[in-house]
Amino acid sequence: MTSLLPILPALLLGLGAMALLIVGVLAKPEPAGFTTWGAIVLLVAAALVSCAAPDTLLFHGLLKTSLFTRFADALVYTAAVAALLLALDYNRKEGIARFEYPILVLLGVLGMVVMISAADLMTLYIGFELQSLALYIAAALARDSVRSTEAGLKYFVLGALASGLLVYGISLVYGFTGTTSFAALAGLLGANIGYGAVIGLVFVIVGLAFKISAAPFHMWTPDVYEGAPTSVTALFGTAPKAAAMALFLSVMTGPFGHLLAQWQMIIEILAIISMALGALAAIGQTNIKRLMAYSSIGHMGYALMGLAAGTEAGIQATLIYVAIYVVMSFGAFACIIAMRRRGQAVEKISDLAGLAAQRPGFAFAMALFMWAMAGIPPLSGFFGKLYVFSAALNAGLVTLVIIGIITSVISAFYYLRVIKVMYFDAGAPDFDAVPASVNFVMAVGAAVTALFILLPAPLITAASAAAKALMG
Amino acid sequence: MIVNLAFYFFSFILLASAVMVVTSRNPVHAVLFLILAFVNAAVLFLLAGAEFLAFILAIVYVGAVAVLFLFVVMMLDVDFAALKEGFQRYAPVGALVALVLFGELFLVVSGWSTLAGAPAARLYPTPDNLTNTAALGNLIYTSYLPLFQLSGMVLLVAMIGAIVLTHRDRKRSLHQKLSAQHARTPEQTLRLVRPELGAGVSVPASEKEAT
Amino acid sequence: MYTLIAVLAPLVGSLIAGVARPVIGRHAAIAGSIVFMLVSAGAGILAQLGGVQAPLHIASWISVGSFTPDWTLRQDELSLAMVAMVSLVSMLIHVYSIGYMAHDKTAPRFFAYMSLFTFAMLALVTANNLLQLFFGWEGVGLVSYLLINYWYERPAANAAAIKAFIVNRVGDLAFAVGIALTYFVFGSISFDQIFANVAAQAANGYTLFGTQFPVLEVIAILLFIGAMGKSAQLFLHTWLPDAMEGPTPISALIHAATMVAAGVFMVVRMSPVINAAPVAMEVITVIGGTTAFFAGTVGCVQNDIKRIIAYSTCSQLGYMFLAAGVGAYPVAMFHLINHAFFKALLFLAAGSVIHAMSDEQDIRLMGGLARKLPVTWLMMLFGSLALAGIPPFSGYYSKDAILGAAFLAHTPVALYGWGLGVFTALLTAFYTARVFLLTFHGQCRAPKHVQEHVHESPLVMLVPLLVLGAGALGSGYLLRDNFIGANFAQFWGPSINVAANSPMGALDAVPSWVAMAPLAAGIIGIAIAITFYVLAPALPAALSQQFGGLYRFLLNKWYFDELYDWLLVRPALRLAKFAWRFGDEQVIDGVPNGLATLTTDASTQTVKLQTGSIALYAFIMLIGLLGFLSLFLWVR
Repeated sequence: MTSLLPILPALLLGLGAMALLIVGVLAKPEPAGFTTWGAIVLLVAAALVSCAAPDTLLFHGLLKTSLFTRFADALVYTAAVAALLLALDYNRKEGIARFEYPILVLLGVLGMVVMISAADLMTLYIGFELQSLALYIAAALARDSVRSTEAGLKYFVLGALASGLLVYGISLVYGFTGTTSFAALAGLLGANIGYGAVIGLVFVIVGLAFKISAAPFHMWTPDVYEGAPTSVTALFGTAPKAAAMALFLSVMTGPFGHLLAQWQMIIEILAIISMALGALAAIGQTNIKRLMAYSSIGHMGYALMGLAAGTEAGIQATLIYVAIYVVMSFGAFACIIAMRRRGQAVEKISDLAGLAAQRPGFAFAMALFMWAMAGIPPLSGFFGKLYVFSAALNAGLVTLVIIGIITSVISAFYYLRVIKVMYFDAGAPDFDAVPASVNFVMAVGAAVTALFILLPAPLITAASAAAKALMG
Repeated sequence: MIVNLAFYFFSFILLASAVMVVTSRNPVHAVLFLILAFVNAAVLFLLAGAEFLAFILAIVYVGAVAVLFLFVVMMLDVDFAALKEGFQRYAPVGALVALVLFGELFLVVSGWSTLAGAPAARLYPTPDNLTNTAALGNLIYTSYLPLFQLSGMVLLVAMIGAIVLTHRDRKRSLHQKLSAQHARTPEQTLRLVRPELGAGVSVPASEKEAT
Repeated sequence: MYTLIAVLAPLVGSLIAGVARPVIGRHAAIAGSIVFMLVSAGAGILAQLGGVQAPLHIASWISVGSFTPDWTLRQDELSLAMVAMVSLVSMLIHVYSIGYMAHDKTAPRFFAYMSLFTFAMLALVTANNLLQLFFGWEGVGLVSYLLINYWYERPAANAAAIKAFIVNRVGDLAFAVGIALTYFVFGSISFDQIFANVAAQAANGYTLFGTQFPVLEVIAILLFIGAMGKSAQLFLHTWLPDAMEGPTPISALIHAATMVAAGVFMVVRMSPVINAAPVAMEVITVIGGTTAFFAGTVGCVQNDIKRIIAYSTCSQLGYMFLAAGVGAYPVAMFHLINHAFFKALLFLAAGSVIHAMSDEQDIRLMGGLARKLPVTWLMMLFGSLALAGIPPFSGYYSKDAILGAAFLAHTPVALYGWGLGVFTALLTAFYTARVFLLTFHGQCRAPKHVQEHVHESPLVMLVPLLVLGAGALGSGYLLRDNFIGANFAQFWGPSINVAANSPMGALDAVPSWVAMAPLAAGIIGIAIAITFYVLAPALPAALSQQFGGLYRFLLNKWYFDELYDWLLVRPALRLAKFAWRFGDEQVIDGVPNGLATLTTDASTQTVKLQTGSIALYAFIMLIGLLGFLSLFLWVR
């Protein structure tokens, strides 16, 4: 049993997904609600089991579990549960309550968990493909909507390009070193730096940067965020970002840890372009989902700052940032999903007008998330920025920090504009009641975001332990 | 010597047919060139001694994927003129990008050397007394079993995806439910009304959907 | 465990009254607040009876290197005494407010604030480190601001609330710097670790403006400046009288019994550090004595019943600091507890009067209320006698002990404090008697229609009065032995550090004339008041004519507000105006407007890239890849 424990979460997800699939196919009418709750239960169970799993290296070094993987897994599970809760009501109202969706989410999460635990380039690639494929399908879930299918297609084509680049990079690295195992790579690349490995590394970075939508590999993000059903966008904005960022961290510090001097500059450039683009392009947006897309690009830029530092403190900072980002993000998406007027989902920023007068609690929650994303103390978002900035400063990346500060000032503009529209613009008081599941996610997100300052220690200690496990 | 000649020969055909895939005007021709490219790639695998990969490539890509492409191209009405237009618009930039990329990769390959420790790092050198296929099978079903299983999951997702995106319950079609039809009684389906003169009968909404 | 319940119950009550109010309705909201306050008071008293326990660790808060403050409840003698007092008094005032706020539409908000205040105050007194204390400190400050401004449609309430907030900022800044310096010096802000290392730091210096100061003195004085702000001591006292704009139960709870005493509590809590800082102790003594005297003189000529009591609060807090300054911390705590009871009583009784008089607060328009408000009259009498220091009421015991301790300390500053203290005792008795006589005796000077409405308060307001009245009568006598008597050291245990050379040990050895002096001063003060306001009513007017300058000086509260206005407010406004006209309108607006145009232009350009074409997207990705590859191959 103990030897099974480390992969038990993955088994739960995979076998559970298949069991739900059988139930879904046989039961009539479509048991979308049942499979959603079943998926949530499975995710929670997997999360609990993964907490109990010991640190090991599995299957001849294909997979590993450590404090780091558990930290990232916990983030992914949380985000996925939140996304499923948000989908419960929304999918039904939009007529896309397919029982397959939660199963796809489960399989996607399985892919993310494999990605996070990867200790070999091949595992990495398979996990990467598994979760990507599930997400492509999810994006096109509203198959009768042109925007949704277009989003799915775009994501698929560009994703295929990215994964082609990734696998090409992996083949270059393999060709140069003769191995795909992280541990062996770390040992080999310590002493030698050659064209092959470095160029392969660039390709790998590009593939991963696509997944976390770091500029300039972000182009799919706004279109896909806008086109996909909002419940799916809520998933895109959280779980895969956390998983891909964790993978990014473990790949950069693991097999390529000794090439810090080579990749540091690339990560810096990625961070700078992402932050700048996230701040600038979001200003002109009128659609809140597009706004969130640019916002997530910017946030990934900030998170990369910690990786660019390349230190243990930097890894810790990135983990803290991503954890805080995930919570803010699913909270904000809960608010966006709750935006319905007279039975219609609306997604223009101007549609928020008059919200504060009619639904003060909802408006306040949204305002909290916007403030937090802008990084205003004492909300959680501020601490995320604080940690990455201080990690980057300690690593001597002063330019990066200065650009980060300038872009966060610029981005504050569009976050605050949302608040301004909610509180000061007049609008018709015809918002629909917010369903309980959405309210729950919103309340949890708001509570964590607002009260983080009172109890930051658990997250910070956990992130510190995770970073230590990774850098070990 | 012959091996080298064969390699260059098939490589040339491979590259030429790849170019033709992109440039040919007729989409059916393009797919046929694609098949040619696949076959040549399979031959290159054979030359390298990887007979299993060669046959897999031929069976999966030529036998399944490319033929599927052919069906799609022939059955769907794709506006290739519009696609071509896009191609021409981006051609100059694309050519530039391709050129630079090629130059750089050339630089990499020309300066290529494997790492000193690379041969030693190879975990599974090709065994002498086994066929290529058997050796591959030994690895896939032992050391790389989880990856094999996960690949299965990828295929499962692809299958679910195909069904989710295309399968529709035909709501309009009239099924027979024999058991239901046998079991029903006149009271469930028949209502006798006595309409007053000039007033007509109001039918409740629940009864309007005649089964 | 009881302590935890006592601390958290008000928070729950506050959430019920504040957040759940739209769901459960007005009455349930108020009832929820009251019930949880009763729980808190019960738990607070049980905790006190249960005795000292080890600090209760709840959760870790921040963990940054060696800076690791936790959420921990300290449960030593000092904390438990304060928890019991705060929760009990707060509970009584909650109950009283049911009656007092009965006609107010937004009463649940009031109860939510008040419960929140109680939570913050309890968090303050149970803090186990300086940061947690600071959390409670700012929490009570915040609620104080909200409650002064409770009737936010009144401009005077706005102004008073802002004033209270800003004046407190001055003190809080020093306090925060003090905490930072403490961490810098001791490497910890946990009380236990600070106290354990005081001796090690005694000889160390701290260089400020090129001069070397003993570091403990600097810390002690910074912390004391924080206490001065919160406890309205001289120079930072101006907010307290204005704070009377809030509802009267608030004046009783926050601005008399609990929050303003937080400064005294903090000084007592930090006694090991203060003891090691003799100069700071002298500063505390001087400020305390002077404040007592200053506020006493001003109180003599004011006409607003609540303001007079507010000045007396200021004055009594001065007494407490006087006691703390000479090292007699238990005496300061003794007075703090007694004062909480009788001052809350006075305010609530005054509230009852104001309630009866249709919100009239000017004592010149009152009079002859004794008949109509018999219970209030009796309770006001109890409170007044306690404040004036007449035996057997509680104020007598503690004020006597303070002055005795000041005399016994024998240093010049202590004797200065003693002299002022005795004279202030006379002033206190005088103005207390003045308020009492003008309110309850003689002819009623109120307009006719007000007179007709005069009525005794409902029972729900009178019961808390009676309980507090019993406290004012008995707390001095009952607590005396334990708090400052022979076994005080045993009672307080290690929670208060009483220096060997403090006057605590010799309190019984006070010369009898010194012991009698405050009582004599009190009786003389009352006699003067009776002469002025009963026997010869013309005399006060004649005197104020005769000594017009002095009268105006006192009436205008020593011109402190005017001085601050001239010295600080006006220059600040002028500077602000300059900053606005030049700095803001030209520089700050000009530069960002330019930058903003630049930013929006850049934004439009970036968005233009997002055409929706997959081919373009793929190109941009490839160009990005190319860029990175080139970076490697050619730049590096």
